[in-house]
This record gives sequence, structure tokens and C-alpha cells, in this order.
Amino acid sequence: MQAAIAPAPHTPAPGDHDYAVTGIDSRKLGMWGFLASECLFFGALISSHLLYRARAPQGVKVPHDVYDIPYTSVSSFVLLMSSLTMVLALAAIQRGDHRRLRLWLLATAFLGTVFVGGQVYEFTTFTHHGVNLSSSVAASSFFLLTGFHGVHVTVGILWLMSLVGISLRGQLPAEKHLQVEIAGLYWHFVDVVWILIFTVVYLVPNHH
Amino acid sequence: MADEQDATGAVATEAPPATPELEAAPGHDPLLHAGAGHAHPSPVKYVGIAVLLAIITSLEVAVYYINMPDGLMVAFLLVLAVLKFSLVAAFFMHLKFDSPLLRRVFVGGIILAGVVYTVALLTLRVLV
Repeated sequence: MQAAIAPAPHTPAPGDHDYAVTGIDSRKLGMWGFLASECLFFGALISSHLLYRARAPQGVKVPHDVYDIPYTSVSSFVLLMSSLTMVLALAAIQRGDHRRLRLWLLATAFLGTVFVGGQVYEFTTFTHHGVNLSSSVAASSFFLLTGFHGVHVTVGILWLMSLVGISLRGQLPAEKHLQVEIAGLYWHFVDVVWILIFTVVYLVPNHH
Repeated sequence: MADEQDATGAVATEAPPATPELEAAPGHDPLLHAGAGHAHPSPVKYVGIAVLLAIITSLEVAVYYINMPDGLMVAFLLVLAVLKFSLVAAFFMHLKFDSPLLRRVFVGGIILAGVVYTVALLTLRVLV
């Protein structure tokens, strides 16, 4: 399904279905459309958390009472650096360097796994402090938001590992770098969403 | 420039280009690579952006621990978050270099979400 090389920019060849009249590959345009819709998805989750983050029965802890900011800061830093390794993977395949492509993809997946592992540890700690999915509306909205983000990161890790497998089988030549670029767009989006979550959910003061 | 040859034989083994990170690989479509023919940044520039992002993250955490009025702290934190968001979108996601259409699609989604949820939260008196 890889597109034939267009004879000139913005002039798709007959039967070249991967190019729209925009001159942009349809898969890439589709991914950007999906990411735009994800803005609304995460916007809804962040808004609901802002709405409910202080709502809990008297004496019941809300997530804000048990945040460990230094720990979450390190976790955020790890995810931020995974965006660097992801873009280096794309740069590697664009110059035909398959060994470094796999190295950076594995590094990205590893950093993503560290982030998700950290999130699981954080959730476990919260539960030990009496903050769980059903302890309050505030906790529910927190777990819903951060949990959905964690699921997105996990999907991204699986995607990256599948690219590593495809590359190892020799089915990811340099001209198919768009597959890495699209996976990268998804990964970076997950990162920018966390940038907002870290600020709005963790750092912005909450007077319970 | 390739360290190894791909099983498909798609990777050439000729002499490396002068600026390998900006050169197209064999069979490479520049339209796919960089939208309307714009080159992506070099790996060195990517590392520079990452360092900048790390510094901004440190600033965010510092602002959290500095004793200041809530309004001022929130303003600082939001500015820093928007800055980080913009850097990742512009350089790592290549919005600065790709087709303006992609920028419009993504920014359209952000603006739509921002307006809808700001109105909703204002209506529910969360932001006042």
C-alpha cells in the first residue's frame, strides 16, 4: 500500500490513493485529524477533573492531599525525554540507519514503560492512603483522567514494539519512514497531553 | 550512511551525504518527509529542544515550591505549560515545518476544545 513516488510535489500519480488533493499523505492527515479529536476527549476529562477535584465527603482525602510532586516530576521528565528518543528514531530511519532506528524505538518504549510503571506505583500508593476509584468523585475523576492517559501510553508502547518487530523482519525500509512518523505523532501527542495534566492536575493549587 | 543493509535491500551503501540528517534516503519522497519541501531539524537541534524542555520543567517545579499568590502561580505555570506544549508540537511533531493544513487541523481541535470547555467551566463557576 506504500505510495508510488509522486512525479512532482502536489501532483499525485493516477491511482495513488495515499495522496489526497492536498498533497499530504492521507494517513498522516488522518492521524492529525484523530489527534485533533483527542484534544476534545482529553479536554473533557481534564474539565471534569477541574469540576470535581475538590468534591469529597468530609474527612475523606482527595488525590491532591497525597500527591508526591518530586516523584511525579521525575516521571514527567522521563516521558518528556521519550519524545526526544522518538524523534531521533524518525531521524534515523529517514537517513536509512536501521540499527539506530531500533535502538531509539526501544529506548522510547522503555521510557514509556518506566512512566506507566511509575503510574501503577503511584496508584497503588494512593490506594494505601485511602484514595481509590470509588472513595470520592474527586478521586474518580483523577483516576479516569490519568488512567486513560496511561492506556494511551500503553497503546503507544505496543505500537513502538510492533515497529521494532517489523524492522527486525526487514519490512521497514527507509521509504516507509512515514509509519514511524505517524507512530511518533501519536507518541508526542501523549506527551503534550501529559504536559497539561502535570500542570493543571498536579501543580495548580487545589484548596480542598 | 546505513550501519547495516535492510533485508529488502532498500538501503544504499554509498558515501554519506554532507548533512545526513537532512538528506533523503534512497527511494525517499521529500513530500512525505517534510510536507511542502521543508527540511526537519538536525538531531543536535532536537537535543537542544529537549534540554530546553527539561529546564522549563525544572522551572515549573520551582514555581510550585515558591511562596507566591495563587493567581500569579497559576499564570506562571500555564505559560510554562503552553511553552512546553508549543515546543514539542512545533519541533518534535514538525508542525513548524510541515504543511500549514496540518497546523490548522490540530490548532482547530485545540481551539474548539478550549472554547467548549472554558464556556462549560465558566457556566459551572469553576473558573471564577
